[in-house]
Order: sequence, then C-alpha cells, then structure tokens
Amino acid sequence: MNDGVRAGRARSSVDQEDAVLPPPQLIDRERLEADARQLDVTWRDPGGLWGWLTTVDHKSIAKRYIITAFLMFIAGGIQAAMIRMQLALPENNLLGPDRYNQIFTTHGTTMMFLFAVPIMNAMGLYFVPLMVGARTIAFPRLNAFGYYAYLVGVVFLYVSLFLNTGPDAGWTAYVPLAGPQFSPGHRVDVWAQVVTFTEIAALAAAVNIIVTALKMRAPGMSLNRIPLFVWAQLVVSFMIVFAMPAVATASTLMLAADRAVSTHWFNPAEGGDSLLWQHVFWFFGHPEVYIIFLPGLGMVTPIVETFCRRRVFGYDALVLANITTGFFSFGLWVHHMFATPIPELGQSLFTAASMLIAIPTGIQIFCWIATMWSGRPRLTTPMLFVLGFLFTFVIGGLTGVMLASVTFDKQAHDTFFVVSHLHYVLLGGAVMPLFGAFYFWFPKVTGRLLSETLGKWNVWLFVIGVNVAFFPMHILGLNGMPRRIYTYLAETGWGPLNLLATAGAVVIVVSVVIFIVNVAVSWRGGALAGPNPWASSGLEWATTSPAPSYNFVHTPVVLGRHPLWDSVGPFPVITGLRTDRREVLVTTVFDARPDHRHKEPDASIWPFVLSLAMGVTWIGSIFTPWAVPTGFAMTLLVMLGWGWQSSRVTDVERVETEDRLVEAE
Amino acid sequence: MTAPATIDQQSLGDVAELPTVTFGHRTLMWWGTAGFMAIEGWTLAILLAGYFYVRQNFVGLPPKPLDHPSLGVPTINLLVLLLSMVPAFMAARAARRLDVPGVRIWLLITSLVSVPIPVLRWYELWALNVRWDTNAYGSAAWLLVGTHATLLLLDVFDTFGLTLFYWFKRMPVKAMSDVADNSFYWYFMVLSWIPLYLIVYLGPQFL
Repeated sequence: MNDGVRAGRARSSVDQEDAVLPPPQLIDRERLEADARQLDVTWRDPGGLWGWLTTVDHKSIAKRYIITAFLMFIAGGIQAAMIRMQLALPENNLLGPDRYNQIFTTHGTTMMFLFAVPIMNAMGLYFVPLMVGARTIAFPRLNAFGYYAYLVGVVFLYVSLFLNTGPDAGWTAYVPLAGPQFSPGHRVDVWAQVVTFTEIAALAAAVNIIVTALKMRAPGMSLNRIPLFVWAQLVVSFMIVFAMPAVATASTLMLAADRAVSTHWFNPAEGGDSLLWQHVFWFFGHPEVYIIFLPGLGMVTPIVETFCRRRVFGYDALVLANITTGFFSFGLWVHHMFATPIPELGQSLFTAASMLIAIPTGIQIFCWIATMWSGRPRLTTPMLFVLGFLFTFVIGGLTGVMLASVTFDKQAHDTFFVVSHLHYVLLGGAVMPLFGAFYFWFPKVTGRLLSETLGKWNVWLFVIGVNVAFFPMHILGLNGMPRRIYTYLAETGWGPLNLLATAGAVVIVVSVVIFIVNVAVSWRGGALAGPNPWASSGLEWATTSPAPSYNFVHTPVVLGRHPLWDSVGPFPVITGLRTDRREVLVTTVFDARPDHRHKEPDASIWPFVLSLAMGVTWIGSIFTPWAVPTGFAMTLLVMLGWGWQSSRVTDVERVETEDRLVEAE
Repeated sequence: MTAPATIDQQSLGDVAELPTVTFGHRTLMWWGTAGFMAIEGWTLAILLAGYFYVRQNFVGLPPKPLDHPSLGVPTINLLVLLLSMVPAFMAARAARRLDVPGVRIWLLITSLVSVPIPVLRWYELWALNVRWDTNAYGSAAWLLVGTHATLLLLDVFDTFGLTLFYWFKRMPVKAMSDVADNSFYWYFMVLSWIPLYLIVYLGPQFL
C-alpha cells in the first residue's frame, strides 16, 4: 500500500508551482461559525412550494430522486409479486394474458429504467460532490431538469398503466411485435416515450457527474486518490454517454418514427430489418447491466474498508478493473442474439468477450475478499449486505459465463434460466450493495442511524428470499419453462418449484417492508449519528450530518486516498472562496490543483418549466407528429427565458484571458 | 443550522486571488458542452450504422427506381456552413479579448450567415429524392439529416438568442465565455456534417 502519503509530500502536490507556501494557520472557531452563517444565507434555497420547485441544491434533488426511484422499486416489486402469484399454481387465472403482459412489461420497464439506473445516478448526484469536497454539483439546474424529466416519465407510465394502456411487448420491445402492425394502439408508444424521458435524465446526470468528478475535486485529490465510489460513478457516466444514445435512437428515432410517421426501419417489406432493433437495443442494453451494478460495486469498497478497519486491498487493480469492465461491456451485446443468424466468427468473438469480462469482475471480488481476510470485519448490516452480495452475485456471474457459451445459450434462451441469471446479477450485484449503502449513508442524509436490529432482519430475509425465489428458476429454465408466459399446464411438472419461488418472493416482500418500517421509524426517531458515526475515511464524513446546503465551510485539502484517516491534527482546508455568493473551486483534471473560482446559479424555475415543455412535446408526439415542431418552438422559448435569467450583471469578476487578468463586470 | 465546525480546521492556502471567469477547457461549461457533443455525435454515429445496416437489404444505393440525391442545395449549404465558421471564430476571438463591440458585430454576422442554413436544410431533405416513408433507405436518410437538422436549429437559435441579448441587454462579462463555447459547439455542428454529407449525398453516386 502506497497511499499513506505524508502531509509534506501531499502539500507540495496541492500547489506545486507555488514555491513559498504560507504556514498552515488554525482557523478560529468564531470565524468558522461566522462563515458558516453567511454561507447558509447564500446557499439555502427558499422554502415553500415555490422553493420546492425552484431548488437547485444537489442534495435536495438527489434525495427526491432516491425517494422517487425507491417508490418505483416498490411499484415494480408489487408487479413482481403479482407475477409470482399468477405463476404460483398451474392454470391459474388471477391475471389474464393481456393484463399479465402489461404487468411484466411494466415490471421490467420500471425496474430497469425508472428504478435501477435513476437510483444509482441519484446516489452519485448526492454523494459525488460530497466525496470530492465540492460545494455543489457542476450544473445544478441541469440536475434539477433531469429529475423533472424523469418524474414526467414516471407519472406518464403509471397513468397509462391505470388507463389500461400499459406497454405490453416486454421491456425489450422487440419488433415486429412492438411495431405498428402487431401492436396497434398506444401501449408501445408509451414505452418508447418513457424511455426517452429516462434517457434524457440519465444523460443529464452523467454529464453532471463527469464534470464534477473531473473538474471539482478538492485540491490534492489527484486521479490516483479518487474514492472508488466516485471512480465507479465516473466510469458509469462515460458508459451512459455512449450507451443511452443507442436506446434513444432505437426507441425515439426508429421505433416511434415507424409507429407514428410510417418510416420503415423495421419493416422487411420495404428493406427494413427487425434484427436492427436487437442490435441497437442491446448495444445499449448490455452496457445497461453494468451501468446498474458498477455503482453497486463502488458502494462495496467504502463499506468493506470501514467495517474491516483497513484500506482496501489493490486500489489500482480495482480502478483498472472498473475501467476495463466499462470498455468490455460494449463488446458483448451480441450474446443476447445468439438465437439469431449471427455469423460463426461473430459468435466466437462474442462468446470470448462475454467470458473475458468475468476477469475484471473476478479481480474486484478477490480484492474485497483479501481486504476482509486481512482486516477485522464487523458484521454490521451494511457489511452483511456486502457478504450477501458476494454470495449471490458470484452465482449470477457464473451462470453468466455459462450463458456465454453459444450451445448452452441456445438451450436456455428465453427460458426461466435467463430470468434467474439476470435477477441474481441485478438483485445480487446492484440491490444488495444498494441496501448496504442505504444503511451506511442514511446517517449522512438524515442525521440519524437506521436500527441495526431491524437491519439484521432486513438483510437475512432479503438474501434468503432472493435465493429461494430465484434459484428454483434455474431448474425451471433447464426443464424448459419459457419466460413471459402467463400460465402453464400441471402436466409440465413446473408447479412445485414455481410455488417455492413464490414463497421466496413473499420473504423478499417481508424484508422490504421491514426496511420501510426501519426508515419510517429512524428518520425522526433513530439514534443521532454525528458527522462520522462509522469512523469512516471519506470526505463526505468531514461535514455535519446532514450536510448543510453549502456542504463544507471551507474546501477540504486531500493528503491521501483516505482523507479522514490520513490527516492528523486539525482538518486541512483551503480558504478564499467567497461566502456571499455561490462560488465553487474548479481544479485541474489530473492533479486537482486549484485553477479558478466559478459562480454557480441560484434557485430557478426554468428547469421545471423546460421539463414540462419537453413532456408535452414527447407525450403529444404519440397522438400527432405535429406535437414535435410545436413542442420544439416551446422549448426554444423556454431556453430564451433560461438564458435571460442566467445573463444578469451581478458582480465584478476577475477575468483571466489571453495571459492577462482584468476586473470587469 | 449549526456550523459544521465540528472539527478544528487549518488553512493550507487561499484561493481568493484566483480568477472567476476563464475560457476554454478550464471551464465547467466547456466540459459540459464537450459531453453533449459526445452524446450527439454518438447518436449520429449510431444512426449512420443503421443506415449502413439497412443498406445491406438493397441492391445498389439508392435502390432503383429512385434517383440519386441531388447535390445542388446540399453543396451550397455545406459551403454556407463552412463559411459560417469564420464569423463564429471571430466572435469567439473577440470574446476572449473581452471586446464587446467585436462580439456584437461578429455575433450579428454569424446570425445573418446562419439564417439561410435551416431554410436550405429544408430543401436539402427533399434533395434526398426519396420520402421517409418510401422505404428503409428513405427512413434512414431522412432521420440522419433530420436529427442533425434538429441539433443545428437548436444551436442557430442559441446564436440568435446570444446576439439578441448582446444587442439589447447589458451582458455580464462571464457571458463572454458562453460566446466562446457557443462557437465551439458550432464548429462541432459544421464538422460533424461533413461525413454525413459525404456519405448521404455524395456516397450514392459511387456506391
């Protein structure tokens, strides 16, 4: 381990070009408190309904994002429970085939687009600025806009479902089934537009996280000191930039156009091709899986470090594994298409690539095991969730390697084996670390600890429930039970295992209810946490719980990979950011040397208005293509208003341009 | 809210002397703009992949009996686009020099040069000599040109907005950085069009 950097060496990397550094000065308490009061006036957004709609505080927005996405987890979970009830017995008719199609499509769409990606983004939007020691996120208004765009998608999908217009062609919306010929009406249109909203939201979040992580890190936090959660968020954000345009293209520019204005992308009679859909969809869809669970892996590291009381084993390997996973994930999409006429060379290549990606993932698993092995693990709830993750995720990963083989895949394709595999990976790889993260960071968000007793029930029931619910599906799949069927005959012999899977689902429901009770009880009544209840090492623990609107009174200075473990004595900071306006420190990409100060925007209604304008545009486009030009014009007007608000003369600035520094208004 | 002065803090330096407005890749907005360029460029690339994918289903491009795309309007528009980079560059240069009159003039000239671009783009769509609903080739060509047109229109409007503000409103000095970024994005719009022009309009002459 080479990250126990001495303060002296670290100081020199803060300001390499300044030969003379003033001696460290202790900041007296009175001044700290005066600064904090002034900052609170500057950064606090107004209250009330207007304040609620105009806030650009990254924490308020991210908190809403997390809560909304968690409500979507519950909604998707209720649908999952309905699916399990329907399949519990052969020839059951609790849900008819039409309702069943809508329910399982909405379940998949909700879980992938409205829960998993948004909640992982939201965790990044909340914690990345805190972890890199920034006052806020790079583009606070873009952040608010992204949330509202997402919210429009959420409301739209669920209003449609209750109007019996829920999408019913599967979350993958394969053509020709999803095309105009076989899916008349508006159900698939709803799917296509919900996807559009979530893509916009994810892209807004990704750009925001990339710029925050690259340009707003605390002085001294060079690239090789970025916390692993932030690394994971950074890699995932780059993946979003290159994956989401594919599904936006597929759903909005291809499928919706085929359905609304009679283009022929997927119409074989006019030279179109239904396999094109699968290519473009899975070019997004495969990286999507990694977009969902890489942030989960990023959450594992700080939990393991904190509860094993040691620095993580193999930081460099973990970072490189993250990056290589990100790259490889774009080279696997064809393994979803082994049952289509793919050239043999292509099959071999994508089989090899699909097996290859197990290597960086394996490296990460071994690094955590080594950390636990050589540390002193404390089995708190977050840590137990991590152990549950290791167990469950490894099983899901191994069935993934099995599916990478073409011969096996052709047997298991579209069976419950695949359903089992993907739920092991996503519940094990993303949801278990996420629950661990909830327990770990809940005190930072609310100031209070979640109950450990309820937590233990939560974790044990969850891990057991997931395995009971999904393990039998492996066998069901091997026995030939296809996915997406609403019922089956008793003679198939699939009844008992389906009943067992449903029993597992009941256990999961109980576990999640316990979690909800825990949150409800602890939000106001939990034990007070203080700034750093776990004696953890990250910068987010260097401020109060919950963090104030301005995050930090003074920008922290980072002397190693584990800021709170590395600095002894008074906490090192850098002063000089103005307290009377919303200023953040912008630093250089590689070394995080202070570069300039940047004024961030105040509260604004325009992000909300823009998302409404876009909502009207896209939802309207389902009914008439003329909604697009009308909405476009509306969007331009809103942008004008947004720009007008941003271009007010407020302050004298110090402008550095072409090697000179001038003061101007 | 109590102050988060829960721990003693020592100052290792002071950033009060640092500038508050800078240009180019030092700024957050430049990185944000670059991010959206990556997203939009990649969207165009995926559409292009779709274009080549459906091309496999046709013998020859354009499939008979369709005519080749006309080259007149698209070539004129390409030249106008390339020309428009000059005033955009001059506007950015004036912005970096904090030269308000210069920014006003060059933004106005950029706007004036940009006026015919969306109009020409409309005729350019029809110059494809195929409708979007004729066949998959038509769909791919229309969506490619149309998507670029949408982004183009957004940025033309952005330039108009900036011009309007600079002529009728007192602008803060930090908007100079926005002027430079607007030009930066404009270069992307123009340069990303070159391969699309070559493939969609010129390509079928040789394929």
